Amino acid sequence: MRNDLELDAIIEDYLLGGLSAQETAAFEALRANDAGVDHKVVSHKFFLESMEAFAAQTRLKEQLNNIHAEIDVETLAEVFKPHPSKVVQLWRKHKSAIAVAASFLILSLVSVYSIQHNTRQKEQLILLSTQVNKAIKTQNSLIRKINSTSAAAGKPAVQNSVGGTGFAVSTNGYILTNLHVINGADSLYVQNSKGESFKVKSVYTDPQNDIAILKISDKNFSNLSSIPYTIKKSTSSIGEMVYTLGYPKDDAVLGEGYVSSKNGFVGDTTQYQVAISVNPGNSGGPVLDDSGNLIGIISSKPDQTEGAAFAVKSKYILEAMRAIPQDSLGKNKLSANKRSTLSGLKRTKQIEKIQDYVFMIKAYN
Amino acid sequence: MNNSLKSSVPTDREVILGILNNSEDILNKLYKAYYPMALQFILNNNGDEDDAKDVYQETIIVLYNKIKAGDFELSSKLKTYIYSVCRRTWLKKLSQNSKKAGSITDYEEVFAVEEDVEQHEEKDAAFVKMQSALEHLGEPCKTIIQDFYIHNMSMQDICEKFGYTNTDNAKTQKYKCLQRLKKIFFQP
Repeated sequence: MRNDLELDAIIEDYLLGGLSAQETAAFEALRANDAGVDHKVVSHKFFLESMEAFAAQTRLKEQLNNIHAEIDVETLAEVFKPHPSKVVQLWRKHKSAIAVAASFLILSLVSVYSIQHNTRQKEQLILLSTQVNKAIKTQNSLIRKINSTSAAAGKPAVQNSVGGTGFAVSTNGYILTNLHVINGADSLYVQNSKGESFKVKSVYTDPQNDIAILKISDKNFSNLSSIPYTIKKSTSSIGEMVYTLGYPKDDAVLGEGYVSSKNGFVGDTTQYQVAISVNPGNSGGPVLDDSGNLIGIISSKPDQTEGAAFAVKSKYILEAMRAIPQDSLGKNKLSANKRSTLSGLKRTKQIEKIQDYVFMIKAYN
Repeated sequence: MNNSLKSSVPTDREVILGILNNSEDILNKLYKAYYPMALQFILNNNGDEDDAKDVYQETIIVLYNKIKAGDFELSSKLKTYIYSVCRRTWLKKLSQNSKKAGSITDYEEVFAVEEDVEQHEEKDAAFVKMQSALEHLGEPCKTIIQDFYIHNMSMQDICEKFGYTNTDNAKTQKYKCLQRLKKIFFQP
């Protein structure tokens, strides 16, 4: 133990250069001979280096601490801590929370705005609904006034009659038209293309789809030959060429155009919009496509849009027809199953064939 | 940073030369010049004054050692270097304490100083080892060793301070302490 300590002392002196030249030489000889001693020297050298570095570091730290003690940390901290004003500080600390709050605020503002906007839309809807009323008026105006006593004359109307169009849905005298044509009428007559008039009575009305079915009750009426057109069950595509035959005046008038929209007035899915210019009197007229399929009934037109009309879709015709006892319609009724005899014919030929089946409706009230 | 501090900011060149020449005055000026910046950074990034002191001192030590080692090339402003080291060190501390680093509020531009900080940390680990070995040693060994190796006191002074009858006794005591210290230090 004692020797160990002495050895350590010698090693340290050797490493720190505390030995005389003679002693150094002697020690180096010992070190060369004894691996154990050599190992001790190396490890002590390493230790001393570590200690030296540590000492330097510690001294530096002490120095820094002394310097640090000279700084008025508190004042500086005061300067820097609250200096970025409290608002900024708040913002820095709660940036994300503030962001969330802000986005929530924006969201609620947006929703409040959109609610307000919605109510405005409602108002617009109300406005539009008055337009619907107008459109119904327009529908009414599609009824041609026959014989009307002019109000300008100042005389009370003794007898008013309106006119529309209808078409045969069976050979034994069932005629389909718009309800608004015959609504409120005291007596109803139909007139065919040859100018013959027959008395009819209303057998079925569908106020929702604006459809009425009339029955010729005149004994002079002889059954028609089989109906040339068929009814189309599926909906028609936009762009399909269509035409209608109607009685805006005393003679039949052809109107041609195409399906321009799948829905009718303000998105009314029971109707098409067709690009056919129609006039009062066209109401209840059949809308046929090129191959003679009935796709709808002209019922109204928008009063703001030129050259457009609305037509009730054909499937509601089928529904209306189902409401009538099937036996009474007879065998030769309008159906979807038969092949149209009009298909492949020229338009002139088609008109020739259908004109006997399209009637002018005269309603007196 | 107030004006009195600003006026005493040494130029980057002065700092390097001063540290190479062991100028206490320059070290003092350097320390005081950039401390407010470090304090501001730490205070505004989830730290307090003590954190600022630790981090800033480590930063200065990194810079000091780098200049002393002679491989300090001033590729940017000294201020940027100090700020970068400071920032890096603080980020490490934050993550070690599993504090939320979140988004660091920066006050200066930053460049990569990872290598320097890593090197410093390696060295620091050895110092920590030495420090803990010393703590283990207990009194009076710790103070004797510290006085001799760190404060460079002569054995004569130590002998007087601890009231040994003669220097040889003191020396023997010192070597005994040293032996124990080495044992602890070299323990794996």
